[in-house]
Amino acid sequence: MGPALTWYLAISAFLFAIGALGVMLRRSPLIVLLSLEIMLNGANLALITFSRHHGELDGQIFALAVMAVAAAEVVVGLGLIVAVHRRRLDLDVDKLSTLRG
Amino acid sequence: MIAAAWVCLLAPLGAAVAITLGGTRWSRRAAGYLATASVATSFVAAAVAFFSILGDPPEERTHLTTAWTWLSAGNFDVGLTLLVDPLSIFMMLIVSCVGALIVGYSIGYMDGDEEERRFFAYMALFVFSMLLLVQGGNYLMLLVGWGLVGLSSYLLIGFHHERPAAVAAAKKAFIMNAFGDATMALAFLVLIQRTGSLSFDAGFEWSEGAAGSWAVNLVALGLLGGAVAKSAQLPLQTWLPDAMEGPTPVSALIHAATMVTAGVYLLVRTAPIFEQAPGVQDIAAGLGAATILLAGLIALVQVDIKRVIAYSTMSQIGYMFLGAGLGAYANSMFHLMTHAFFKALLFLAAGLVIHALLGEQDMRKMGGLRQFLPRTYLAFLIGALALTGIPPLSGFFSKDSILASALAAGTYGQVLFVVGLAGAFLTGLYTFRMVFLVFGGEPSAYAREHFHRPERTEPWLWMGLSVGALAVLAVIGGWIQIAGIWHPLADFLKPAAEPLIEPTGLQDLFASVLAVGLGIAGVAIAWAVYSARTIAVPQSRNMQAVLEHKFYFDELYDWVFYRPTVFLTRTLRDYFERPILLGSIDAIATSARRIGNEVTELQTGLVRTYALSIAGGVTVLALVFVWVK
Repeated sequence: MGPALTWYLAISAFLFAIGALGVMLRRSPLIVLLSLEIMLNGANLALITFSRHHGELDGQIFALAVMAVAAAEVVVGLGLIVAVHRRRLDLDVDKLSTLRG
Repeated sequence: MIAAAWVCLLAPLGAAVAITLGGTRWSRRAAGYLATASVATSFVAAAVAFFSILGDPPEERTHLTTAWTWLSAGNFDVGLTLLVDPLSIFMMLIVSCVGALIVGYSIGYMDGDEEERRFFAYMALFVFSMLLLVQGGNYLMLLVGWGLVGLSSYLLIGFHHERPAAVAAAKKAFIMNAFGDATMALAFLVLIQRTGSLSFDAGFEWSEGAAGSWAVNLVALGLLGGAVAKSAQLPLQTWLPDAMEGPTPVSALIHAATMVTAGVYLLVRTAPIFEQAPGVQDIAAGLGAATILLAGLIALVQVDIKRVIAYSTMSQIGYMFLGAGLGAYANSMFHLMTHAFFKALLFLAAGLVIHALLGEQDMRKMGGLRQFLPRTYLAFLIGALALTGIPPLSGFFSKDSILASALAAGTYGQVLFVVGLAGAFLTGLYTFRMVFLVFGGEPSAYAREHFHRPERTEPWLWMGLSVGALAVLAVIGGWIQIAGIWHPLADFLKPAAEPLIEPTGLQDLFASVLAVGLGIAGVAIAWAVYSARTIAVPQSRNMQAVLEHKFYFDELYDWVFYRPTVFLTRTLRDYFERPILLGSIDAIATSARRIGNEVTELQTGLVRTYALSIAGGVTVLALVFVWVK
């Protein structure tokens, strides 16, 4: 047996929190995307942890699905960033606020 | 014979449809010829039906024919049924004969008008409606024709739709008639409830069993309401003078053939029901008598030539109501026929006068037209003498037969007889006031200046022919029945409506002598006042005001019906609709908009704020789940 379940979960929560803070605090869309990935991986860690703990494969399969979604999301996100850059706009999420009410 | 009845009914409808669909493909003149030809076809068909019915024995002269069943609910069936019996054939003959002459006259009268085709389509529709009314074989078909007559009159009175007065008159006529339609429809609903059928015979049989009951009285009252509205009798008479806003041939058609006589026809057609409700029958006769006097008095002060003739119509229809109400059905129908001839003649001759003065209808500006229009004067004089009831013209035979019947009908009838005699005097007075003002004396300055000799073209010929034919009919029309000696008409109509009273020869003689004497007295006074001017026009400011305001009926209806309605609707609009209905809808809309405005503040467009609120929300939910658990 390795470290206790708690430690895995603590790291998972820590990763998720770092990611969330990154999303909320950073203004560069690139960093926001990176932070999102960290959040997803934090969640993946928790899924795999519980999978091991219960001895079932469901969590791992779900984590694979999350990775696939994350990859797709990164493709879209990076594509948007490139498109914004091409229009010579500032890469700052606070300035991309045309959709405000 | 059945086929002839269908041809008679459908020919004018076909012309109306063809003119409407053909539009500008018909030349203006052709539309007039088509309409005239269709109504003339009706007359020929009616004549064919008449002669074939003469071949039947008198008891077997009633024929019902159903084209198809329209409505079928349980035991209740109503079909497109035509009734051919002596009464309906008699009406068909009058309507199509006088109608054809008037429509033919219109070819000349309306020549050069902007919208001739529309006019002729309406005229043909009008004749069709009236034929449907008189041929309808059950109460529903009668009501359909009744309503169509109202519609056509509305369209034709408002024919000059660019004149506000014409539009107002059309609406007035329509609303007054709709009132009558409604009371008739209510009467028919009572009949359906009682007999489960709308056939004439079922209604008649039921009324015999239920004589004097409130239901019979109610049905009779409802029918009387319809008759009074359509025939412009008291108290629904105010639409008829205003209807003079229509072109003159329309006035002639309404007065002579296709509209106001419908009420008399209804009284005679449904006579078996009225006979079981004697009170209502007396009301009908009383209303007729009251209208005779009232219309005769108002006619004395009218200055518009057409309005004088209009009031004389009201008064003559009053005689017919008097006769029908007292049970002298054949005499009533006889007067209806002679009246159709001389009234159409008077209107069409007046139309010639109006045409010659380029549309002027005010008699005060006319005068001395005898010198300009000798033949029109002759025709008008024949019409006026027939209207006054001077022998041997047609009005004499028919009016006096009604008066004689009144004399034979007990005390109530004798009271009405006196009223009718007063009416005969007034008729002579106002008719010859009109004749002397328009044709007598030296030509007025206005007439000299504005007189316009008609061009002797083909349309003008049609006008002359129609007036000539009607003048002949107005002279000889009365000879088909001479009281006490010769009465083929009464015999012909007997199977449809058995008269209740038969005046004796002495009563006939007495009524004739008095009526003719009073009529001549009226003419003499009119001559003294308006032609010889030996007597000054009596001046009585109050009386004149009352007559010029037509006994204040318009004002009365204005105060009793129009103003309260307007007041009520204004009040509802100002205190209910606007503040409550519109106000609540406005409040809902503004508050929704305000909420929307405030909610949009939340949408900042900043992704990080959204992320924060999502994170915050999730945190709160997580905490709630943890604690609640």
